[in-house]
Amino acid sequence: MKDRPIFIFFLAIVFFVVIWGVLYPNFSILITSFQYKGVWSLANYQEIISSSLILRATWNSLWLSVLTVIGSAIIGGSMAMLFHFLEFPGRKLFSALAPLPLLMPPLIGVIAFIFLYGESGILSRLVVKLLSLSNPPWRLNGSGAILAVHIYSFYAYFYTFISTSLKQLDYSLLDAARTLGATHQQVFFRVLLPLLRPALIGASLLTFMNSMASFSAPYLFGGGTPMLTLQIFNAKVNSQWELAMAESMVLAVISLSALIWLTRNQKKTIGGSKGVSLTTRHAIESPVLKLLALFVGIITVIIILLPPLTLLLISFAQDGAWTMEILPPSYTLANYLKVFFSQSFLEPVYNSLVMSALAAGAALLFSLPASYLFTRTSFWGQKVLVILTMVPWALPGTVLGLSFAASFNQPKFFNAGLVLVGTFWILPIIYFLRILPLVLRSTQANLEQIDENLESASRSLGATFFYTLRKVTIPLILPGAISGTALAFATAMGEFVTSVIVYVPSSRPISIEIASQLRAFHLGNAAVYGVLLTIIIGISLIIGRRLATLESNYNI
Amino acid sequence: MLKLLALTSIKPLVFRLISLIVISSVLFSFATCKKDSRPSLLIYSPHGTELLEVMKTRFEEKHPGVVVRFLDLSSQEIYDRVNLERANVQADIWWGASAITFSKAAEEDFFEPYHPTWAEKIPEIARDSQDRWYGTFQTPEVIVYNQVAVKQEDIPKDWDDLLDPKWKERLIIRDPVRSDTMRTIFGAMILRQWQTSQTPDAGYDWLRKLDANTREYTVDGTVLLQKLARQEGLISLWDLPDVASAINRQKLPLSFCIPSSGTPLVIDGIAIIKGTPQPKLAQEFYEFVTTEENLLLAARDFYHPPLRTDIDKAKLPEWLSKIEIKPMPVDQALYKTNIQDWMRYWDSQIRNQNNR
Repeated sequence: MKDRPIFIFFLAIVFFVVIWGVLYPNFSILITSFQYKGVWSLANYQEIISSSLILRATWNSLWLSVLTVIGSAIIGGSMAMLFHFLEFPGRKLFSALAPLPLLMPPLIGVIAFIFLYGESGILSRLVVKLLSLSNPPWRLNGSGAILAVHIYSFYAYFYTFISTSLKQLDYSLLDAARTLGATHQQVFFRVLLPLLRPALIGASLLTFMNSMASFSAPYLFGGGTPMLTLQIFNAKVNSQWELAMAESMVLAVISLSALIWLTRNQKKTIGGSKGVSLTTRHAIESPVLKLLALFVGIITVIIILLPPLTLLLISFAQDGAWTMEILPPSYTLANYLKVFFSQSFLEPVYNSLVMSALAAGAALLFSLPASYLFTRTSFWGQKVLVILTMVPWALPGTVLGLSFAASFNQPKFFNAGLVLVGTFWILPIIYFLRILPLVLRSTQANLEQIDENLESASRSLGATFFYTLRKVTIPLILPGAISGTALAFATAMGEFVTSVIVYVPSSRPISIEIASQLRAFHLGNAAVYGVLLTIIIGISLIIGRRLATLESNYNI
Repeated sequence: MLKLLALTSIKPLVFRLISLIVISSVLFSFATCKKDSRPSLLIYSPHGTELLEVMKTRFEEKHPGVVVRFLDLSSQEIYDRVNLERANVQADIWWGASAITFSKAAEEDFFEPYHPTWAEKIPEIARDSQDRWYGTFQTPEVIVYNQVAVKQEDIPKDWDDLLDPKWKERLIIRDPVRSDTMRTIFGAMILRQWQTSQTPDAGYDWLRKLDANTREYTVDGTVLLQKLARQEGLISLWDLPDVASAINRQKLPLSFCIPSSGTPLVIDGIAIIKGTPQPKLAQEFYEFVTTEENLLLAARDFYHPPLRTDIDKAKLPEWLSKIEIKPMPVDQALYKTNIQDWMRYWDSQIRNQNNR
């Protein structure tokens, strides 16, 4: 093994990040969770087991997350398949709009939902008026509302993951199955689904963990539905820090169990491109079906578009004027003018851009060697290492922020005297850890689909390891890596719960500005920032997709 | 083979792009890290950007060359932050939180003692015996209602009026677990009936009836007042500065009344953070925002009644002299030792019990 030094170098980088960024801060959570009033004890866990409230919260979080995954998979998956295999009027437009919810960070999505479907929201009042009811037929609280927002925000993970996978699929396999006499169903279940497995697993993981750790939705309309993240937050506010840590451990264990379960006996490589076959998109012939497809498409687009449009509408509404009307009664440009001409306007936008770019760039640089290590080699403790890199994603943002801050708040033996609290750098570093799984997962999913033989061929033809890496492996996985990075950048741009704990004046992000505008009753200004954030995220995802397709075109 | 040939041509583009992103972001971040050489003060405060902006401008006018920066945070967020930043102190002043929060923070050694020039003008209970924090404002809690939807004869005058079954599903309340204001009110409701039985049971019963009338617990005070304005609920309990500000500055169709049997007054304080990089300047800011002139300004434009006893009643703004505030005595020691347990009980045994 003459590549050994290179692997060891890669491994050293991965170890460094995992130990300082993940193990060390989270170990302190584990230790704290086994203490009660400073003394070693199981009291926190006893409290969890004996408290019907916390148990109910845990149960709610769990089944809501499972339902979120199932719902998102069905909706996102069928949309991806529909747009990929069928040709019908408007298909291009629909498929371009499908990933739109990714543009709205959780906080903004939830706020838009409230203004749309909330008790005094636009759609609710419209329905009340049209049907002459006294109350809207639904209430935006409890588990139903949380599930609705979750599916709205997360189906796009399935949609993008599956679409990307479908684009890179080796269709000769499907053709082969058909020629050998397999039915449509057999092709779907025996050939297509197994080929899509990495994408499905990746999207399920992100969705499950995201929804376990989801905070904005239960926080803003949880009300009667206790959720684990909410209980952690309440315990912290009630000065029961140790209980909060024990509850966080429960949450992390559930999320990580899902990770272990979903990635069990994962195959190293599946098929891979061996021939050339172009996607055959079947045009729908029957006019009835054509109309039906169009109808379903339009309804879907309306549902997708309503929240961002609401945000846009409110950004033009006059503050304080909208009380009992269906739509805001008066409109103004003042919100935009105020935001654009205020002296400190650019600062949060600029800060968010810089920090997210740093974090996403670092995550990409880290993910390339790390995903290679995790898929192309096998070594003792590999699985543990993979799981550890996912921990920052599995933990609720508040806990991640506090544990990280508490580990780097003063010079200690373990942090080598590195004090990050109160500096600009703590936020980009936390963003990096938090979004890393996004990039790593999509890079890994890509790498798993690529035939190892391509690399072997390059090596046997005399190319060195690095030459092969540069000219074969990296170009092949770059589409996935870049679209993952764009997604990671978008996530970091909208990050709120962790930022609020440790930002300093020089790293004040957009999300904080939005929250602060909302608190000051400046709904319009908050919406302006929300629109701006959505546009920035949109541009970054489009650029990401452009780069990714630019790459994948060369792969055929 | 075709594939490999094609790849060589686009490889440089990819690498150039990646390195461009990395290098430019590193450069950007260095650009943001540039230090302003002027002495600067950092204030942590929940008092809202408008009040802070006014004080910042006025202070900077008086002290040319000094930069005042502030972070607009909730008092709970400030507590977490100051705790985390002990080894690398960032803020100089913590302006705004209840006396309970301040005394908890003082016990954990968050503050640098400072004896302000007006120390003797502050009542005993509104200051720390070791000068670690002092009260600045006193905030009465009020009953707030939608002016359009609640009829004149129906306006609730006192706490117990809120329990009237006619208000079923008409109350919306700020989620009390995370709110100093609501904890104070709930605590006061329990302590009000403590004398008779020395147990919280009577208070719990009262809160249970309140829960029965409550439609929703909102996430913060702003959402609460907006929902009242939009008639999702008609009545609530909240603090006077926020309510008066919503009525007069945001023009929300609300009105308020002070409970006739008396209302708890929350003492709102100020303190210098231990290890402040600018102790001298911090003291000047401390004194500056508590001068009679600035206290009157805060009272007039931002509806914070001052605590200092030496302020001429005649100079107080008109709105303040018009209303009658009857303080409700709250046993601070009892409150401090029990409020956590009470809120836990409320959260698990009372919240939403009637809706299930």
